Amino acid sequence: MSEMTWQQLRDLDCGAVRTLGDSWKTHVDAMLDQTERLRSDVIDGHLSVEHYESNTATQVREQIAMTADRFEDDLSDYASTRIATTLHEAADAFEAEQDELKELVPLIEQHDFDIEGPQSEYDVNLSGGLHQAILTLDPPQWLCDMCGVKKPDGFWDWDTVKVLFNGVDLYGTAIGLAGQYQDWLRAVMSRAHDADDDAAAALKEMRENPSELPPQLGATYDDLIGDYKDAVSQEVADEARAIAEGTSGMSPEQVNQWWEGLSDAERDALVAEHPEWVGPVDGIPTESRDTANRTLLDDRIDGLDTQIAAKEAELAQTPPTDPQYSILEAEIHDLQTDRDELSDLQGEITNEDGSPKSYSETGQQYYLLGFDTEGSGQAIVSVGNPDTADNVNAYVPGTGGDLAGASGGLLDRTRTMAFDAQNAAPGEETATVLWMGYDAPDDLIEATDSKWAEEGSADLESFTQGIRATAEGDPSNLTLTGHSYGTTMVGTAAATEGVDADNLMFVASPGVGVDTASALGVNEDNVWASTNESDMIQYAPVHGNAPVNEDFGGNTFTSDATRESGSWWQFWDGPVENHSSYWDTGNEEHPVANTTSRTNQSYIVTGQEDLVR
Amino acid sequence: MDTPPASEYTQAEAYAPVETAAAEAVAALHDFPGFEQRSWAEMPCSRRGVDDPDYTNIEVRYRFSIADSQTDLVRQQYVDSLREHWIGKGYRIVTDDAVEGTTRTDRNLVAHRADGVTLWYNVSGYVGLYIQSGCVPTSDIADIQYIPPTGGIRPGGKGDKVEEYFPGGIPVTQQAVNPFDSPESFEDQL
Repeated sequence: MSEMTWQQLRDLDCGAVRTLGDSWKTHVDAMLDQTERLRSDVIDGHLSVEHYESNTATQVREQIAMTADRFEDDLSDYASTRIATTLHEAADAFEAEQDELKELVPLIEQHDFDIEGPQSEYDVNLSGGLHQAILTLDPPQWLCDMCGVKKPDGFWDWDTVKVLFNGVDLYGTAIGLAGQYQDWLRAVMSRAHDADDDAAAALKEMRENPSELPPQLGATYDDLIGDYKDAVSQEVADEARAIAEGTSGMSPEQVNQWWEGLSDAERDALVAEHPEWVGPVDGIPTESRDTANRTLLDDRIDGLDTQIAAKEAELAQTPPTDPQYSILEAEIHDLQTDRDELSDLQGEITNEDGSPKSYSETGQQYYLLGFDTEGSGQAIVSVGNPDTADNVNAYVPGTGGDLAGASGGLLDRTRTMAFDAQNAAPGEETATVLWMGYDAPDDLIEATDSKWAEEGSADLESFTQGIRATAEGDPSNLTLTGHSYGTTMVGTAAATEGVDADNLMFVASPGVGVDTASALGVNEDNVWASTNESDMIQYAPVHGNAPVNEDFGGNTFTSDATRESGSWWQFWDGPVENHSSYWDTGNEEHPVANTTSRTNQSYIVTGQEDLVR
Repeated sequence: MDTPPASEYTQAEAYAPVETAAAEAVAALHDFPGFEQRSWAEMPCSRRGVDDPDYTNIEVRYRFSIADSQTDLVRQQYVDSLREHWIGKGYRIVTDDAVEGTTRTDRNLVAHRADGVTLWYNVSGYVGLYIQSGCVPTSDIADIQYIPPTGGIRPGGKGDKVEEYFPGGIPVTQQAVNPFDSPESFEDQL
């Protein structure tokens, strides 16, 4: 784990790290010139077929070509992808957090706060001087301004008394501000440590032994060359497996570089023969992932059918009085549930003839970026291709989100977001992703625990990095839209791991894990929040300062409270129902459609903030 | 979870009155250029804060072409016409706003009918008429009858985007329900 201190981060010469990366890139380019010369001057020149035609000459040309290939592969895999890209990514990440520190540390000092504690979890506390000033009724001007009191002039006049009676507010205000700075500092250092650890992992996972070279020319050449070619193929497979299993240490950008460095035949072979190494991997282009994931989905459904049949056969041989009978019944039920949910998902994204289905209203194809039946189940489905889209909106659902929802209500909501985005920006392509990529809490009790968000944070970070890595052309305008606990998921990932997003949108948030927009690593102007006036969630900020609060420091947009209590004695119904009313259509019971929330969301997603109200 | 209150329609029953509402709105618009597409969508219906798969919200969506969406007739005059028409029919206007942007002005006119149907005329990049049923009990897809579109869209044509509900093909040749001929109850037709 990184032990970088805030002072080390502040003083780090990021330019030097970046320059080192540049140097490696330059080295790679220079070395590639050498292999090009080998091919053009030697293989196709002095040693060409025109000059030397014999079996030996053919072998020599082949051996030199393979040596050049090997050299280029190593340059690409190690010098470029591993070393240079790692240095560049680390420099970018450190510099971003350094910029935040340059803004934050002077604020901490100006307000007479102290940074204390270990680098793993800094505290920002009131300094002794600030304590003394408050206790002696001589608070600093900034604190008087924040509390709306006139700074006492040293005498026991009315202002002094007023300050005295506002003593709790003075302390509370100062502690509250220190707490916001603490959140901000901890978030900065968490992301910096994450970047440090990522860089260390990428370098650590470089193979310790140099790659094998083609066999030497000689009597055994013919015997060894086949094994060598097999070994080269195996290396690609091993690398793909390591990437999929998360042991390669490579970032999505590095994965993308590795993928682009493969031949078409290698890529096709991986998709066809090992879809499990392609489908779930951030950094591999969406088209390939979709193809692989559809194969995996077919296989998983077939596998479940086989399992169910086997269990049913076993059940048929088991007497109902046997305790094993009810166990088998429960197992079959669980398997059948998984099978039905996956089949429903397949039906939503696949035509009758097996081809990928498109969402008819917007004409955009569905892409399957991942699925899992573990826990409550997960699925990542995109309406439209995020690699080619102008805007990408990833919707992160909250409590109760599961695999069943990914082919039901959650996907319906995603489609409506896609439709609304197209309405708002007809000339642009907006891909709308249902990111049900974490194990969401099942109920409101579970939703008081931050662990679900913490466990999903690295995956959400990776997802955003993958969107960036696979973008064709200019980067998209990427928005993460959390609803309910989904906002906690988004905020926690942003503060602890960092998300590579342009906008964060928090709908009906119980708190996002930090008390200030400054801690989210995204420009505060691009942080948006909305909670309607009746939503119960405003009374349960269990995960920190509500992002709609003014002192959170982000923007807010209007959402209507469209639902009302059914009866006066069921007064709690309205607040409960209004937690889920943000995409409402109307009816007699809930008479107002939430047109305001839907249109506002679509404006933010498509970069038309001037229309938000 | 409490049992939701009885809805006036099931999902299958709701399409007819919703399509009737669309047809009535179109009839009130002069020099109508025709819609480009019609689609049927659904949204989750939540009860006590949790999505309930036994209920759904349907939204019937009619949208103009991008060219027609840029005309004053569609962006401004139709808002005025529909406001007058819906008020005249006794519908309750619940939203009537204009949003001034740097490059365009968007508008929302939302009317609510006593039977629970909500009509939303949305002026944005595209302009559309979206009509919503609210929360209704989910129906088996086989129980949903085809209703031909209004506003100049050819039934089963390119702009009639309801194929999801008719996996065997849009039954344009069958006796379609006339949206203007709505009976007291749709129960006998289901």
